[in-house]
Amino acid sequence: MKKFLVVALCLAVVPCAYGADMAKAKAEGKANFYANITAVEPIMEAFKVSQGVEGIYTRISTSKYLSTVITEFEAGKLAADVLQGPLPILQTLKDNGVLVPYRSPSAAGYPDWARADDTIVQFGIEYVAPIYNKELVKAADVPKTYMDLADPRWKDKIVMPNPSTHATTISWLVGLKEMKIFASDDEWMKFVKGLAANRPMFVASFGPSPAPVESGEKLIAISMPKYIITHAPAPLDWARVGTILGSPRGIAIAARAPHPEAAKVFMDYWLSGAAMKLLADKVGEYVLTPGVFPPIDGISGAKVLPIRELSDDEIKSWGEEFRKIFEGV
Amino acid sequence: MRSRKLTLTPFLIVIVGLLTVCPVLMLVLGSFSRGFGAFGQFTLEKYAAAYTDPAFADILVNTLIFTVGSAMVATALALFLAYMNTRTDIPFKFLFGVISIIPMMVPHILFAVSWLLLLNPSNGILNRLIMQLFGLENSPFNIYTLPGMILVEGLLDLPIAYLIIAPAMSAFDVSLEESSKVCGASTLKTLARVTLPVLRPAILASAILVIVRSLASFAVPSIIGMPGRKYVLSTHIYRTISTGFSADYGKAAAIGMSALAASIVLIYLYRYLTSESSRYVTISSRGFKPALIELKGARYPLFAIVGTLSFVLIVLPVIVLFYTSMLPYVMVPGERAFQLMSWKNWVEVLKDPISLLALKNSVFLGVAGATLGILLSIFVSYVIVKVRTVGSGILESLSFLSFSFPGIVIGVGFMWFFVRTPLYATIWALLIGYIATYLPYGIRPLTSAFIQIHSNLEESSRVCGGSPWYTMRRIVIPLLIPGIISGWILMATMFVRELTLSVVLSRPGSEVLAVQILRYAEDGLWGRLSALGIIMIFFSSTLVIAASLLGKKLTRMRVM
Repeated sequence: MKKFLVVALCLAVVPCAYGADMAKAKAEGKANFYANITAVEPIMEAFKVSQGVEGIYTRISTSKYLSTVITEFEAGKLAADVLQGPLPILQTLKDNGVLVPYRSPSAAGYPDWARADDTIVQFGIEYVAPIYNKELVKAADVPKTYMDLADPRWKDKIVMPNPSTHATTISWLVGLKEMKIFASDDEWMKFVKGLAANRPMFVASFGPSPAPVESGEKLIAISMPKYIITHAPAPLDWARVGTILGSPRGIAIAARAPHPEAAKVFMDYWLSGAAMKLLADKVGEYVLTPGVFPPIDGISGAKVLPIRELSDDEIKSWGEEFRKIFEGV
Repeated sequence: MRSRKLTLTPFLIVIVGLLTVCPVLMLVLGSFSRGFGAFGQFTLEKYAAAYTDPAFADILVNTLIFTVGSAMVATALALFLAYMNTRTDIPFKFLFGVISIIPMMVPHILFAVSWLLLLNPSNGILNRLIMQLFGLENSPFNIYTLPGMILVEGLLDLPIAYLIIAPAMSAFDVSLEESSKVCGASTLKTLARVTLPVLRPAILASAILVIVRSLASFAVPSIIGMPGRKYVLSTHIYRTISTGFSADYGKAAAIGMSALAASIVLIYLYRYLTSESSRYVTISSRGFKPALIELKGARYPLFAIVGTLSFVLIVLPVIVLFYTSMLPYVMVPGERAFQLMSWKNWVEVLKDPISLLALKNSVFLGVAGATLGILLSIFVSYVIVKVRTVGSGILESLSFLSFSFPGIVIGVGFMWFFVRTPLYATIWALLIGYIATYLPYGIRPLTSAFIQIHSNLEESSRVCGGSPWYTMRRIVIPLLIPGIISGWILMATMFVRELTLSVVLSRPGSEVLAVQILRYAEDGLWGRLSALGIIMIFFSSTLVIAASLLGKKLTRMRVM
């Protein structure tokens, strides 16, 4: 009984200690949200309507994210209340004291690994898979395994982010090895070299990768299935190549946030089922809220796994390795 | 008079120095500092890492070919178009003048994408058309090559060259050519022996400015060069920054020092080559008479050539943009494409509050920024051309300082600087950053114009009792109108579509058009991107036409 009372007290007190004060949040009026995720305007609008607090979205590209946030933080001018980004970026920010702990009650149903950190909650996976032009690629020719992408029939017909620089692509390629998607490391290397031999066209990131496939300039993109939603009615579909891998996406509250209560309210809303459903439905994101999937044929049954967080040094070293393989430098 | 000139020079050095040295100083400190974004702990390891890269030699060769090639294309085309538009009686001149500067108003990302749609080897529209017409099996052109990059960059920089060469060409005293012809020289010989040598400062200014600009250019090297695996200095810097999550801007700045060093050498080369400025004076107190050359029988054939050239090189990519803006996704022309056409992208862009705010901010920055920038440029150009002391050389170098740094790096320099001031995250930071970086756009046309004004004019005014300000207002400025208008147009159109600084300095409330366009590009929403791009072109064109009409009213000289 005593133990039960202690546990019950803890359960009652902990949410109060971390929970958001709605009245204060409304008085603060707005929450500044720095993010590298795209097309989240529907969530910002829904947040304002449902919570009465304005969400101000500032988009910062991955390459400028750390330099911008750390420069502003060190100068005492960080305007962000809530920060979203790839896990390694948020981890670096945490190490630099830019983030503060906050356990949102909205994350309660998330997998344990996604909320193991007291500061950063992982809410989604930046899932990577081949997408193709379904009007130009016959059903029989659609790749069924990753190794099919190394088939010489796709020479000069693939587009992908540059695997010597694009961090998420580097992590994805390494993830395929580490998650044992191939029978052995040799098989994996055979795939990497085969893909390189097909001379894929390089673009800066996943964003520009669907356009050449839509227009028919290329037939397959190493990209994200979410573009099937955001680029509809483009003739895109994704290749069912087995387990899908991707980098986890995280969210956290800024230390010395200008609007601390609004930040908590925003975080709670962002992690709620309603917001995550919007993110899945409107943006095609793969989210970690149980039972919520993007409306893409076959995704709800797919096995989607987060890859290991690579350190900056590892990314640079693997980038150099892939540069040798893909560009012969 | 001399003492006033001597006071003006240090005053301008302080102003321009404050504008341009601060961000560059931040980058220099960063390039010699250990760690990420932190100053202190002196080290040379970033330079060592940057310059021992085995690929660096190839990158330098590509950069040399790309920049010199772009300068040749832009300057040759500008010379031809400017000659036709300012010196001959070719029909529809005003229209050609506007067409020559259209690339200035088009966001570079969009212009490059248009050319991809026209000339990619898989299904480029022009390639397909030529293959069908001539029964070819393979595409005749591949845009993903160095010549492809040179063509597109040359066209994008054509307005810079045109707006420098056209005022000089329009201010050309035709009596020099007449004297040559009286002495028996043919038209071609006169062009080669009289016209072009007199225009040397403008031609050199144009070529050097295009080289410096293409050194810092990122859109064409990234959109056309990177897919073709042709890397130049700016894309090499991008790769350095974008590998991993903790971008090493110090190392990027170390690489950027090469571009800065090259730019400084080019500026001094230019000054050396134009050191005897009196040789290029064509507007003196006597006999100045701009006149038109009658093309007679060649009028319509030359009109056809200029028209076709303008259409294929400049109008066609803009048509492609309009076509893309009407489609739900990128597709080649065909029955399905025409069936799916709608105004949806336009409606979405015009309903988007951030796009509308960005439009308002960009127009403000274009008008206010260009006006302030050109005012500063008049004084700086005056000191550079007319004073010509060591101080004026320093001033000229300072004016190029932040301009010659690759844009993706200088933006961070400005951020590191502005974050230490109350201006950070305001539209004023953008305004100051724009003027500081693009000062050469105002200075170049004005120095070309100043060089051609003989000091006899100022001396005559002074002898008649005119004060320096009176002389400037009544004699010099009216003769400078073509240069002022050109500089204003260059700055205004540049500011309306500026991306590299804006992407770092823009925050909620200070959004600008180019940043909004970049957002659409990152989402791969080419339809909305094209619609907003055309809106941008419309506003820039309005500014250009208004400035040109004002210029025409103020002077009889033809700039456009």
